[in-house]
Amino acid sequence: MSVPALRIDDLVKCYGTFAAVDGVSLTVEEGEFFGLLGRNGAGKTTTINAIVGLARITRGTIALFGHDVERDWRLARGTVGLAPQEYNFDRYLNIRDVLIYQAGYYGLRGAAVARRADMLLERFDLSSKAKQVYTRLSGGMKRRLSLARALIHEPRLLILDEPTAGVDVELRLELWSLLRELNGGGSTIILTTHYLEEAEELCDRIGIIQAGKLVALDSTRHLVGAGNLQDVFLELTRR
Amino acid sequence: MSANTVGFATLVKREMVRTFSIINQVIWPPVIQTLLYVFVFGLALGSRIKDVQGVSYAQFLIPGLIMLQVIDQTYSEGSSSVFQGRFMNSIQELLIAPMSAAEIVFGYVVAGVVRAVFIALLITLLGAVFVHTAPTNWGLYLVTIVLVAILFSSLGIVFGLLAEKFDHIAVLTTFFITPLVFVGGVFTSIKFLPPAVQRISLVNPMFHMIDAFRYSYTSTGDEPLGIALGVVVVLTVLALAAALLMTARGVKLRT
Repeated sequence: MSVPALRIDDLVKCYGTFAAVDGVSLTVEEGEFFGLLGRNGAGKTTTINAIVGLARITRGTIALFGHDVERDWRLARGTVGLAPQEYNFDRYLNIRDVLIYQAGYYGLRGAAVARRADMLLERFDLSSKAKQVYTRLSGGMKRRLSLARALIHEPRLLILDEPTAGVDVELRLELWSLLRELNGGGSTIILTTHYLEEAEELCDRIGIIQAGKLVALDSTRHLVGAGNLQDVFLELTRR
Repeated sequence: MSANTVGFATLVKREMVRTFSIINQVIWPPVIQTLLYVFVFGLALGSRIKDVQGVSYAQFLIPGLIMLQVIDQTYSEGSSSVFQGRFMNSIQELLIAPMSAAEIVFGYVVAGVVRAVFIALLITLLGAVFVHTAPTNWGLYLVTIVLVAILFSSLGIVFGLLAEKFDHIAVLTTFFITPLVFVGGVFTSIKFLPPAVQRISLVNPMFHMIDAFRYSYTSTGDEPLGIALGVVVVLTVLALAAALLMTARGVKLRT
């Protein structure tokens, strides 16, 4: 049996006495497109932050491709790329260098990295903006840059925290197409979103988190059944 | 798994890009300020002051002014880069990458040292041109600048991590660094001060840094070189340890 891309066992993350994530356990297999849904403040971003090392784990374990994120943090972090909810690009670098420097932080350099950066800029239709700083990009371009940066070190797992928030319908459809293409190419993808039709459209399996607890974990087809995801979601996350 | 030397080198390079993209804030102000100090205090008023430590007052002034700028610039740039990274969340690019706390801290610190040496060399050149003075002991010159730059880059990281707003970063500069540097022997030998004030100066850490550095120009100082350098080494180790510990624990970096 192959090692899962992500394995979370009994994850607890507390801030003081408040448990933002409370006993979450789940597994994402390699090649899967997984959706993590929940209301605002449900614990989605905290879970993601624990996976990528931005949040310290209070209890439980997380492993990426078999590497514990705390004990084997260097190996674990090399396997994952994150496109965060908020833009956090380096304002002193042009967007080509944003990609090249990010690769550098992952220990990669040289002509191969420059070629990959150029390829990603081309693929995400950002080549004409290569020498500009990110503040001059439109919202949609920033979203695409975020995705390109997450991919620069060729991660096996891509985590996208609300990647289509605030973008127009056309760009959303374009991003969906890109994500399908990436997933089709073998990348494992974890997606959080508030657009339920997006999760229904893209994800093989869905986990729903409510008040820090995982209240549903099933294939999209099973979860939706004969109804629609919105009804299921509202039922499960009713306060 | 081995150390991420490419990640470390990338961070140093990124800090250099930042420095030269804000050159009017980082490089030119210390140079212009030093020129003004040299003309006003060294050349205009200094002609009325007799020799200090066997050299003219203007020549005495130059090493103190170099230390003043090295201290000021390494702290302010170290702290503002880390704080800005936290404020804009761009520091997360480092935190999610396979980089250890030591690689991150040394990346910022080495960049601070390079910046400090560059600024010091520019001011040294001014000293050579306008005051006809140069270091007589380049080894000591370099060792002292490197130690002091490590010390204040580390303090910059510590305060860049602790600060909640830019105003907090200025607290150390306004209430400690600037007053202590000005009374720490930049403009005068402490031997010119009343005995009671001389004793107080000995607990001023800036006095030891400036005195140790001045040896590289004048081969003499207000206290033995070993003591001055010893104090600098101890403070540098403590500040670096604090920066490493806080970064490793993820203070204000990881929730």
